[in-house]
Amino acid sequence: MILTAISEVQIPLLAAMLLGACVAKLAQVLKAGGLSAAFGPTSAFGPTALFPVSMRRPVAVSISVIEFSLGLGLILTAGNIGGHRPAEAFRAATCLFFVVATCALVELRASRPDLGCGCFGDFSTAPVSFRTLARSALLAVAAAVTVQLGPIVMPPLHLSAYAEPLGILAAELLIIGALSPEIGEGLIRLGYSEPCELQTVPSGRTLTALHRSRQWRRHATLITSSVPADIWRELCWRYVVFPASYENRPADLVFAVFLKYRRPAIRAALVDSATGQSLPWPEIPTRRRLARGSSGALATPAEASGPVPLAGTPPGLATSPTAPVLADLPISTDV
Amino acid sequence: MPGAQASFACCDRCANLGTDRPATVVGSGGAATVARRRLLKAAVSRRVTGSEALRTTAAAHPGPSGRASAASAAAGSGTAPVPQDADSEPADFADVAQQPRTVWGTVYDVSPHVLVIGDVGREQRFILTPDAVAWRGHLMEPAALSHGDHVIIRLHPGHRDVADRIWANIGRVTGVIVERWGGTLLVDEGATRGQQVITLHPSALGRIQVRFPTLEPGYLVDIIGLRDGEELVGMIPATSQPAYPADSMPAAPLVNGRAVGAISGSATWHEPRGEPAGILGVDYPALDPETGCAEDAATGTREGFARLPYLAIGSVLRVRNECTGLDCLVPVTGCASIARLFNDRCVTCGTSPRGRIADLTLASFISLGGELERGCFNVTVTIGE
Repeated sequence: MILTAISEVQIPLLAAMLLGACVAKLAQVLKAGGLSAAFGPTSAFGPTALFPVSMRRPVAVSISVIEFSLGLGLILTAGNIGGHRPAEAFRAATCLFFVVATCALVELRASRPDLGCGCFGDFSTAPVSFRTLARSALLAVAAAVTVQLGPIVMPPLHLSAYAEPLGILAAELLIIGALSPEIGEGLIRLGYSEPCELQTVPSGRTLTALHRSRQWRRHATLITSSVPADIWRELCWRYVVFPASYENRPADLVFAVFLKYRRPAIRAALVDSATGQSLPWPEIPTRRRLARGSSGALATPAEASGPVPLAGTPPGLATSPTAPVLADLPISTDV
Repeated sequence: MPGAQASFACCDRCANLGTDRPATVVGSGGAATVARRRLLKAAVSRRVTGSEALRTTAAAHPGPSGRASAASAAAGSGTAPVPQDADSEPADFADVAQQPRTVWGTVYDVSPHVLVIGDVGREQRFILTPDAVAWRGHLMEPAALSHGDHVIIRLHPGHRDVADRIWANIGRVTGVIVERWGGTLLVDEGATRGQQVITLHPSALGRIQVRFPTLEPGYLVDIIGLRDGEELVGMIPATSQPAYPADSMPAAPLVNGRAVGAISGSATWHEPRGEPAGILGVDYPALDPETGCAEDAATGTREGFARLPYLAIGSVLRVRNECTGLDCLVPVTGCASIARLFNDRCVTCGTSPRGRIADLTLASFISLGGELERGCFNVTVTIGE
């Protein structure tokens, strides 16, 4: 009784596996933009790599057609349609298909260990392992036990009638899942987040983020050209250099923008074009200072004249110790 | 049969870096650009002592200094960086006096003890020690070199007038096979290097086909041989052929977590077509796609098999030859559009854990102790110094 129940569960399971594999390959074709691109003469797709280059595409198409035909045939002949002979033929053909597939995978593993089985299109890129072979062999055995099975009759609509087949189905799905490297691959893809060093972030987005930043608003007055003099990327940062002017001397205003889509960290530095030395930021009038200025209070000499270079150092190479804290930072940040 | 294209300019490789930049920056492979970018990066990466705000920023985001990021990743701290000292300058390039130096020239005269290269009145003389070895298709005595041979001489690190190793007429072609006529291959080396002709030497054909079994259009090839004008007479397979055609590269494996700063793999060399002779530099397989690199547009492939952090022309790598222990800083001077298609392994000293991650200039390869006829060495590249 239990053996009959196990055998009956195999028919929908095998049909689902075959049709799922066919759909996955169809998705691969659609993703690649056409049959020739997905199964082109130069692309190796699972066991098709065992064939000469010219035969790979027809073989790939044939495998997909066979999978679809067998899956559909198993479903249509599961009942009493057409008698027992067509059902037997489809089930035997399914068994033969999985036996051949197992042998092909053994051969593929020996000759091209770098290739995946291609069973479920793009998802089956992991090299053929014992798990892949065991899954194929298990499906061959599953197909074999259905060959002599009679027509499947739908059980009465009662919970207890469905409990046994559903339990068997769940257990078998668990086994197949454990033998399927595609499950792990799918889970990785679902939860995958590319490191920022590998992300492609357009320069335009970086410039947009920069133009919206406080750093830009604070230092844009120094810039003499809106066109960047240089822009380059290193790891997670993109550097944007603008020609600037500092006390009538040419300077470079360099921004480092973290490659993040929302509110990226931004740093800025002012560099003397001639000497390459960092320059102090020009004094920024604060609210308090503005308020004092409007109330008639005198500003300190440092506040009035901005940062003063130390004696004995070239202009722009050092900052006055009396300069405001904000002004003597050669770097400022946006956070 | 079409001939090989000859002249290409180095600065053509990445002529447009994504912005309308002035002409001074367009020649991005130049030393001035490299130095300028290093200086500006150092300026913006420098730590401000006593600036709590900057500390907050640094804690939230890894610093622009890649070395700090790599150090923090190695320490397992996740995002906390090790900021550069306020007064520290970027790491210096290697002292060339401590590295094997390379000299190019044409053999004018040779005796068992002295090699003379150059022309009349502009000769350079090098002492040949009993240990000195030459290569011209095979290892030989330096005295067997001929007048007119184009030689690359590795000098003894401690003696600038002593020749340590000599390669005569050596050349290398790495690319995608375009056409084949018997033992002759037309190979595409990329948009800026053009097409090269390889004539496989009959005595080397079997050896080459062991490592490159599919000498058909669309497949990758990498052969070292002897230069004969514009052609290369193929003598040695530089590596093993990837099983896939160039346009069907397998999907790169996904990279989880942070991309570490030190990457191990294989380093190869390329001929200095269009580059100044003797330039120390490296072609890197993962330049920022936003640079508008001419090679990207030509090959249609922006990502190589080995997923590497994106860098730009002028970024500096510390390259360490794992076979000799020598290391030095070299700037990125170009994009290795063909090298990134190779998922091969270098077996010079053990098997490299990854494919090609650096395509060095001849001078860099020799400076790091590489043997040109071997084609590659195992390397560890540290990014962001």
